[in-house]
This record gives sequence, structure tokens and C-alpha cells, in this order.
Amino acid sequence: MSHKKQNQVIDPVVLLTLGILLVTIAIALGIVQSRSNAAGASSNPGTMSQIMMAFVTGLTTGGLSCLAVQGGLLASSLAHQIEQDYIEQAAQRKKPRGKKIESPPRPGAAFPILLFLIAKVVAYTLLGALLGLLGSYLTLSPLTRAILMILIGVFMLGNALRMFNVHPIFRYFSIEPPKFITRYIRRTAKGTDTFTPLFLGALTVFIPCGVTQAMMAAALGTGSLAMGAALMFAFTLGTSPVFFIVAYLTTELGSRLEKFFMRFVAAVVLILGLVTVNSGLNLMGSPLAFANLTRGLFPSASSSTSANSPRAANVPAGELVLYVENGGYFPQTLKAVANQEVTLNLVTDQTYSCARDFVIPALSYYELLPDTGTIRVSIPAQDKGTQLFFTCSMGMYTGMIIFE
Amino acid sequence: MIKKTFKVPDMSCTNCAMKLESLEDTLEGVREINASYHKLQMTVEYDETRLTEEQIIAAVKKKGYQAIPA
Repeated sequence: MSHKKQNQVIDPVVLLTLGILLVTIAIALGIVQSRSNAAGASSNPGTMSQIMMAFVTGLTTGGLSCLAVQGGLLASSLAHQIEQDYIEQAAQRKKPRGKKIESPPRPGAAFPILLFLIAKVVAYTLLGALLGLLGSYLTLSPLTRAILMILIGVFMLGNALRMFNVHPIFRYFSIEPPKFITRYIRRTAKGTDTFTPLFLGALTVFIPCGVTQAMMAAALGTGSLAMGAALMFAFTLGTSPVFFIVAYLTTELGSRLEKFFMRFVAAVVLILGLVTVNSGLNLMGSPLAFANLTRGLFPSASSSTSANSPRAANVPAGELVLYVENGGYFPQTLKAVANQEVTLNLVTDQTYSCARDFVIPALSYYELLPDTGTIRVSIPAQDKGTQLFFTCSMGMYTGMIIFE
Repeated sequence: MIKKTFKVPDMSCTNCAMKLESLEDTLEGVREINASYHKLQMTVEYDETRLTEEQIIAAVKKKGYQAIPA
């Protein structure tokens, strides 16, 4: 009976069509935008122009960038639903012979993805409204974001271990919503697990990607509740088609593995959990982060620059140059003289990736670099042997300065 | 009204607990069901004149789980 009710959820094909429709609308908006740019509207963008720009930014760069950071939460949400589908199918197969076995059609992954995205859009719209209203009060420091990322990573690892049935203790990593909420959900959604994707979708507000942060800064700049909300709504809506299509196709491919599916999903969540924890460690500037550990163990000559290297030939003494590119930081390892102040020149040239959201955790330095230009950072004298780690605000791109 | 606790060892996620609690809506004589995935158990408060332990176990079985009186 409950299967019938679950099957009343929106058809995945319809949802996929909606996703494609959103892409089409976005492309159309992009064309309109480029025309208005050509007409010189971009020099003094109006309200609609700003909102359209936010939507197109979300669609083009924000979607993939956010997917890299928040995909883990979506996977956790999907894992929950997939796990449930699998169990129900297995329970049906176990039924004794003689009875006609009704193979329940798979409720589909589209529903939790949709819930996740709706919660995400709502959460970011509210955040945009708050940012517009309250200014910079809500900006999270890199350290706070790092701690949140580690906590979320640990949550994902715990869930993966729970799915692997490693130990009963890992059951506590599964959030049991309060009874009044479950009752409400049950009576409205008839047993479909709606809470988890909704909750996780709303949680993404705490782990914005670099592009999202740029958009949050723009929402701050509007100084208006309605405009801040509209900007973040348009941007998050723009990221949704990429999120939806990638997540949906991934899930559908996964369902064909059936027999090993539960373990497959658990393994994916495990890997994403490790990646998230590692990103958090990067953002904290921890030497225990994978990149920092391997960089120390296997120093690559090609990725380092010292004051004597050819690339640094024109750099004045006491200065370092770090090229902030779309693919990361070059060189990844810089060498500086110990016990004297150093100036680090951060050079961007049409850099739009999260690499320009630059963080030196040990110095509590955080700066959103211009897409093109040079920013000078004064680094106080460091002891010999000190390793100063730097990273993007997502913990994706990393590097370090060695003082010797 | 009496309260009885059952072990449900084959619960595998919080949604299982929600499914078991949904018996509140369908099982005559039940006042309240509290199921916990963390503890792998469910507590049923019911009217023993209208419902028996066996009926509860059978209803849980229909949902795909095994209920063992604790």
C-alpha cells in the first residue's frame, strides 16, 4: 500500500524535463543578457540585469563549483532514499512463493534531488534576504567554515560506515527527526523520506562555494532585503539544473548495479566524506591535509619556486610571486628566507575560479582577489623550517611557503 | 491501555522507524507508536481489548520487518 502512495510522487521523467526546460530558459536568458551587454546595459546594470546575471553565473560556473563542494550533502540525501528503495525491493523479493509478487516500481531519485534543491533555493534566498538586510554580520570566517566542513565530513563518514554495518554506534549518525516532525511528514508525504534531503539542502547554506561567496558579497552590497533575496534566489536557481542533471544521471546509472548498490553508495559517501574532511583540514591549514602531507613527503622540483629560480628572476628580494590561476596556485611551493618579512604578490589574470578566494589560515588572512590584478600581502618574519599553508576558501586548491 | 516494547532488528534507517510509526494510522486500537532506528526498537501503546500482540507482530511483518517482544 505504501508503495502505491510513494509512486504518486512526481515522475522522474517529468522532473528531468523540467530540468532541461530550466537549462533552455537559462540559455535564452543568457542570449538576452549578451544582447543587453552589447547595448551597453552592463555598464550600469539595472535590477533585472543584475538578477539575470546572477542566474547565468549560477548556471555556468556556480552549478559545477557548488556541486564540487555541496555534492557530498546531496549524495548523503540520495543515499538515504536509494537505501530505502533497495530495502523495499529486497523485502518484496523475500516474500514467500505462491503469492503474486508485485515488483514495486522504483520511486526514483528525482524526488529527493528536487527536495534537496528546493530546500537549497529557499535557504539561500533567506540568506540573501538576511545579507541584504544585515550586511556583513553573517559572513563566516574560513576557520568556522573549516570546522563545519570537517563536521559534515565526519557526518558523511559515519553514515557510510553505518551503511557498511561496521558497528551499531554508527546508527547514531543517522538523524532521527523529532516525533512531531515525522508525524507531520508522514501525514503529508505518506512515508517518503522528505526530511533528510530537505534538511541537507538547507545545510548547504553553511558551505558556500567560491562563486556563491562572490554572489553573497554582491547580495551584501545591494543593502536591500528584497534585492539580496532576489539575487541569491536567481543564482541558486541557476545552479539547480546542473545539480539536478548530474545527480539524476549519476543515480540512475548507479541503480543498474543493484546487487552491489548499497555498498557502492556507501563507498561513494565514504570517499566524499574523506574529501570533505580533507578540504576542511586544508582550510584550517593543517599539515595533516592530504596535499600538505604528500607535498612534504614528495617535494616536486617543478612545482616549487625559490628566490633563486629563473621564474623569480625579476622578483625583488624579500618578495614572492604567486600566480592565482583558474586551475590553482602556481607554483604550489614557494621558498622564502626565514626571519625576515616577506611580501607575497598574488597575481590574478582573468581568474574566476574559487582560487581567487585566497586564505592563509595560520595568519587568519582571507581575501577575495580581483579577477585580474595584483594584491600584496605582508607576511611577518617566520622561523626557519616554518611551513605556511595557503588554500582557496573551498579547501580545493592548496600550496605552501617554506621558510629556510 | 498498555505499553509494550518490541525489538525490530532489521530496521536499517530512520525511514524504517517512520514506516513503523505509520501503523498508528492503520492499526485499530493503537494509541501511539514510538519507533527508534538508533535503538532498533518500537514501543506501542494500545488498547488490549481491541488489539493483540500477535496482531501487532503480523502488522509489522506486513511492513517488511520482524518484531520481537522485548
